[in-house]
Amino acid sequence: MSQMGHWVYNTVIAGHQMSFNLDTIFTMWFAMGVIIIFAIIATRKLTLIPSKLQALCENIMQFFWGTLDTMIPNKNRQHVPLVASLFLFILFANLMGQLPLRIIHLKTGELASPTNDLNLTAAMAIIVLVYYLFMGFKTKGLKYLLHEFSFTGIIMALVEILEMITRPLSLAIRLFANIFAGEILVSVALGLSAYLLPLPVMLFEILVAFIQATVFMMLTIAYISSATGEEH
Amino acid sequence: MIDTNTTMELAKLGGGIAIGFGAIGAGLGIGFATKGLMDAISRQPEIAGKAFGFFLLGAALSEACALYAFVVAAKLIGLM
Repeated sequence: MSQMGHWVYNTVIAGHQMSFNLDTIFTMWFAMGVIIIFAIIATRKLTLIPSKLQALCENIMQFFWGTLDTMIPNKNRQHVPLVASLFLFILFANLMGQLPLRIIHLKTGELASPTNDLNLTAAMAIIVLVYYLFMGFKTKGLKYLLHEFSFTGIIMALVEILEMITRPLSLAIRLFANIFAGEILVSVALGLSAYLLPLPVMLFEILVAFIQATVFMMLTIAYISSATGEEH
Repeated sequence: MIDTNTTMELAKLGGGIAIGFGAIGAGLGIGFATKGLMDAISRQPEIAGKAFGFFLLGAALSEACALYAFVVAAKLIGLM
């Protein structure tokens, strides 16, 4: 299973050794390009009586608005850009793993879904961390970290600081490990019996793609909600 | 002193043990989640669709615990 590695490009930028996973970058831009082209086509001719494509997009927006409305009490629709783009990007990126992109041969590695790279998921988790910290400090000021100056307040602040590490770590590893384990599972099934066994596993992976995108979005909303909501 | 070859073999053994113990927790978690789903549906059958969505979310969250163990195992075996 040596093909599980990445197509790494090493270079030196400003005196630092950098390595880029070129296959991840390519598939990531592919997924983003699909979403961008879809969005441009869908929003080109907006009419009051929606066409089929516009109705589909309105339903997608209704899904995000409904989820945000149920989980964040007030001023919730300002979070739609982050939440919606995270969900759509992760969904398309996960589903890309089931496309037959592997027929394009690389020197090392293979073109699979970009979320099987820990660097990408960690970057998204750090974006979520920065966003919810920013929203927390914006709505509550310094009280977000230390809401009362007492023994329990300080302990709670320390727990909060610990959560700043564990939350992005678990977000990143959850998404990465699900997709990575799926690919290993497909390759193990392929080793047992070709064509017959991998097909149901790949169908299951499509389900996993939807579930993991939803889980990432739900956890993002929950973290934003706990950062901006009332203290109890 | 154990030589390098034996260490590699022992690391593979460790990977197997890691994924095994991780799977215990995730299996228990999904089992409890299914029990909760069945209880909810038998009490209130009309809530089945909504409860199943939450069940999938909870099952995915507890399954992630096994996948943390899987990452450790993959690291030990040398898959990544």
